[in-house]
Amino acid sequence: MKSQNRGQIRIIEAFLAALIIFSSFAVSSNLSVRQNVNKSEDLASIGLQALVKLDSDGSLSKYIDCGNWTALRDALNIVLPAGICFNLTVYNDQMQQVNTAVISNGGFGSQQIAFVQYICASQSMVFRCYIIHLHLAVAT
Amino acid sequence: MKKRQRKFRANSSGQLLIVAALAIAILISSTAIYVYELSKETNSEDYSAISNFVLALKQSTRNAMISSLANVSNGGKKNVLAANLNRLSQVFRSINNLGICQLAFTPLSDSNYDSGTWLSWNISDMGVSSAYANFTLELYGMAMNVTLNYAVNVTTAITLNGYFTKLSGNEKLVNLTCNVYNKGEPGLAKNMTFFYERLGSWLPVDLSDNLSIMDYGNGTCRVSFTISTPSNAVQVSAHIYDVRDIFVQANTTCYEI
Repeated sequence: MKSQNRGQIRIIEAFLAALIIFSSFAVSSNLSVRQNVNKSEDLASIGLQALVKLDSDGSLSKYIDCGNWTALRDALNIVLPAGICFNLTVYNDQMQQVNTAVISNGGFGSQQIAFVQYICASQSMVFRCYIIHLHLAVAT
Repeated sequence: MKKRQRKFRANSSGQLLIVAALAIAILISSTAIYVYELSKETNSEDYSAISNFVLALKQSTRNAMISSLANVSNGGKKNVLAANLNRLSQVFRSINNLGICQLAFTPLSDSNYDSGTWLSWNISDMGVSSAYANFTLELYGMAMNVTLNYAVNVTTAITLNGYFTKLSGNEKLVNLTCNVYNKGEPGLAKNMTFFYERLGSWLPVDLSDNLSIMDYGNGTCRVSFTISTPSNAVQVSAHIYDVRDIFVQANTTCYEI
């Protein structure tokens, strides 16, 4: 009876050891996913704050009203930290694309792409609403 | 010898059980801590996304208020403010990836404000163009529901005062001090035009009147010009566009010193 019990305990020990190993794998894989999600959300936050900063004095809507896409790209290049690639698309409130030129500073090499949607209201006498889609990635 | 080994094994199997129990306890507690930390992290991320969204929304409502005030102060209808805010609210309702977004607004109406705007240009020495509205944001998201009340006030005001000194005959040198304010803080003017009253009609002051404007860049500017009028009290009017295209005007009476 005692020798039979000892065998069962060994099986339970083995089961527990397997459980510990598998759970450690599960936990570590989750942790890595979590970090990636955080990076993407940080990037989105940086992008949104850059757009808010440009919009605070009305310059964002002025660039769009004038169709000055080069100035808008340069302004974003200045406001965003170095090493971040972006691609910006401007839509009107009917979701028709407004920008006639590509507003981007390069190709996206990273797998981590953050997306920011921003609603830009103009300060000009003729009120306009633009919907801005900004894609961001860390340059590789 | 064999008997002693068997006794040792029997003794150590109890210890093994204790170690196994300890390992299980550690495993359970670490899992519990991990789950707790994870839920805390998710909450902070949700808060961050929502606070960023609110920041952007407040910026957009402020821009809409500036646009409306610029329109109304330049001769637009008073209902422009409500129309613009309605349009903005519709855009926010139609596209929001955080959840259902309801932006309600109430333009201020009191003794000064009418439909959210206040244009006071006839008080002596001072002019005010202002817009004020209260907002209620209701955000129904997957993670949480948010209700937020806030107010947006956009105001451009100027003060104008001055005096004149007699030159020869009816010729007078008028000196004015004009201060521009945005919500009580010094503001910047983009364009200034001055007028004076002569025999019941308002005449613009131009370079032929030796107009000199010294803008100090801190909201204060000193203006001087020469006019010819028989009156002993000179009515002067300043028409100013601030950097946001909001128009405001003020009148003052200058006397000889």
